[in-house]
Amino acid sequence: MENNIEFNEFELCCVIVDCGMGSKILKTAKSFGVSGGTILLGKGTIKNPLLEILDLNDIRKEIVLMISEKSIAYKSLEEVSKKYKFEKPNRGIAFSTPIANLLGTSSCKYKENHESRGVNNIMYNAIFVIVERGKAEAVIDTAELAGSRGGTIINARGSGIHERATLFSMVIEPEKEIVLIISEKDKTDDIVLTINKSLDIEKPGNGIMFVIDLNKTYGLY
Amino acid sequence: MSVFPIVIIVFILNFTISPMESYLIYRFLLGALFIIIGLSIFLFGADIGITPIGSLMGHSIAKSNRLWVIGVAGIILGFLISIAEPDLHILANQVNSATGGVISKNIIVLIVSLGIAVMIAIGLYRIVYNKPLHKLLTIIYGVIFVFAIFTSPEFLAISFDASGATTGAMTVPFILALGLGISSLKIGKVSEEDSFGLVAIASSGAILSVLIMSLFNKNNELSNSIETNILETTSIVDPFIRKFPTIIFEVFMALLPLLVLFFIFNYISFKLSQKKLKKILKGLAYTFIGLVLFLLGVNAGFMDVGYIVGYSLGSLNSQWVIILIAFILGLVVILAEPAVYVLTEQIEDVTSGYIKRKIVMFALSIGVAVAVSLSIIRIIIPGIQLWHYLLPGYIIAIIMTYLVPKLFVGIAFDSGGVASGPMSATFILAFAQGAARATEGADVIIDGFGIIAMIALTPLIALQVLGLLFKIKSGKGGNTNGK
Repeated sequence: MENNIEFNEFELCCVIVDCGMGSKILKTAKSFGVSGGTILLGKGTIKNPLLEILDLNDIRKEIVLMISEKSIAYKSLEEVSKKYKFEKPNRGIAFSTPIANLLGTSSCKYKENHESRGVNNIMYNAIFVIVERGKAEAVIDTAELAGSRGGTIINARGSGIHERATLFSMVIEPEKEIVLIISEKDKTDDIVLTINKSLDIEKPGNGIMFVIDLNKTYGLY
Repeated sequence: MSVFPIVIIVFILNFTISPMESYLIYRFLLGALFIIIGLSIFLFGADIGITPIGSLMGHSIAKSNRLWVIGVAGIILGFLISIAEPDLHILANQVNSATGGVISKNIIVLIVSLGIAVMIAIGLYRIVYNKPLHKLLTIIYGVIFVFAIFTSPEFLAISFDASGATTGAMTVPFILALGLGISSLKIGKVSEEDSFGLVAIASSGAILSVLIMSLFNKNNELSNSIETNILETTSIVDPFIRKFPTIIFEVFMALLPLLVLFFIFNYISFKLSQKKLKKILKGLAYTFIGLVLFLLGVNAGFMDVGYIVGYSLGSLNSQWVIILIAFILGLVVILAEPAVYVLTEQIEDVTSGYIKRKIVMFALSIGVAVAVSLSIIRIIIPGIQLWHYLLPGYIIAIIMTYLVPKLFVGIAFDSGGVASGPMSATFILAFAQGAARATEGADVIIDGFGIIAMIALTPLIALQVLGLLFKIKSGKGGNTNGK
């Protein structure tokens, strides 16, 4: 099963760096075979007693999300952390987590009722849908038809293999929206397939969708 | 970072074309130091003080869900903020002397503040009602041009200068955040497009009110009572000490209404935790300190140098040199405008980095450079009048609003108010006045006016061109959902 190209294992890489570095990280990762990525803005804090007194400890961060096949993911994460010297303090952090399911890239197919590894009995999934800016509401509406209770929209920018426009040698990374939906495991398939059907996610350029197993959730009822 | 290019250019000029007294150079360097420190402290302050207040207020106004609250709050906020703006009082003095004292200074301040207040209320309604910005701008500028036909050229210059002058370093971040606070309650593309444009609408209020005032003014002759005051002292620190009290007072007055409004709103609606409250107050304190240092540096260190550079370049026989230098100064002066950083940061936040700071700065630089050099050409060639630039300029800008992605329309029109900040109102204005004094047949006062109007105009076109480039390059029609 592992040898079949349709059932490659995919990893979600997450890199958190200072604002302005995100595009560079993405570019480096792309040179090692990652096909695309999404960048969102965040806020971090600096641990420094003096700055904390002055309330100047906020700092803008960029979070880069990249999905790729396991071996490529490990390789590019290692190279990125080497190039940008993540081993030194305050340079950034990176981690990766396995993905249960992925839709929207050419090399994968959706696995229904996928069996999770590990001993824990997984009750919930997190569904991430990354679409063009403005489509997120439609995603949530569709998801609600399929039994989801709602979703969270995060603004982001990103570029895949289809988008390579540059302006004065700067890459234009189109605006995206990330929809985060937490769903019960037995409803996940329904939601994913409905969204897929209505948005044609499997066609190139229409966005991507992936599912992560959640070990623990709180606040859901 | 921000003022290094200007310092380098002034140094090159000092050793080549326009040698200056050493005390001026030392004063200039001290001013540059003040600007660097002041600018960075101010930006920290705007980030944790002014911006949060603005967006909190926007949020709570929009959440009230009652139309009269939005209208009343818009008018009160707009009025209190603009009446405290130091630049407005300077403008009022100008209008007062230009009309030969027919309209008293206090009435001018009141009317212009009212104009801005009404326009802010209209701008807020626009966001709530989803009215497209470009249509509203077409109407507003249409009205402005009808009024402009009946106005004397001097008054035209003053009124368009007013648009840039009244949206100062303190009000711009606040109005930007206010618009963001309201529009962020909406979802998706609309929210992003509506985050900008409020500054543009507010500053058109200033143009309109000055134009209306000019209709009541029968005396169309400008009386030349404005003095250009160059301090006749060779001391390095003396001008800094002398300007310190007025600047402290002005900045304090500009900050006061924000502080009062914040406490009132906090009592009624935000009810922030102690920690957050402290943080915002610290932010306001940083804003205060930073802006005082910045203005001190610009006023005491940069103004005289700008004037002298302009004067000695104007005395040269080669006109190309001064136009070239004007272009270069325009390119770099925008890097030291405080509000520009606030705008570009907000653009990055709203678009999640899709439109990067660097590229906006680049477009602004080109725009301001063209504005400054066009203004210098106007001083050198007596036949050109301000409206020869303004009329086609605004017509192009308005036509472009129908072609470029809507997000860029808001950003472009906001950047007009943002680019014409304290740096251009002092350094570049002094430069132009110096050049005018050295040029035969140029009037220091009449030709001095209008330069801020130009700096407020060209970014509209520059950034919309950028928007067009984005639209063409990304090949997705910008806002048509990629179909």
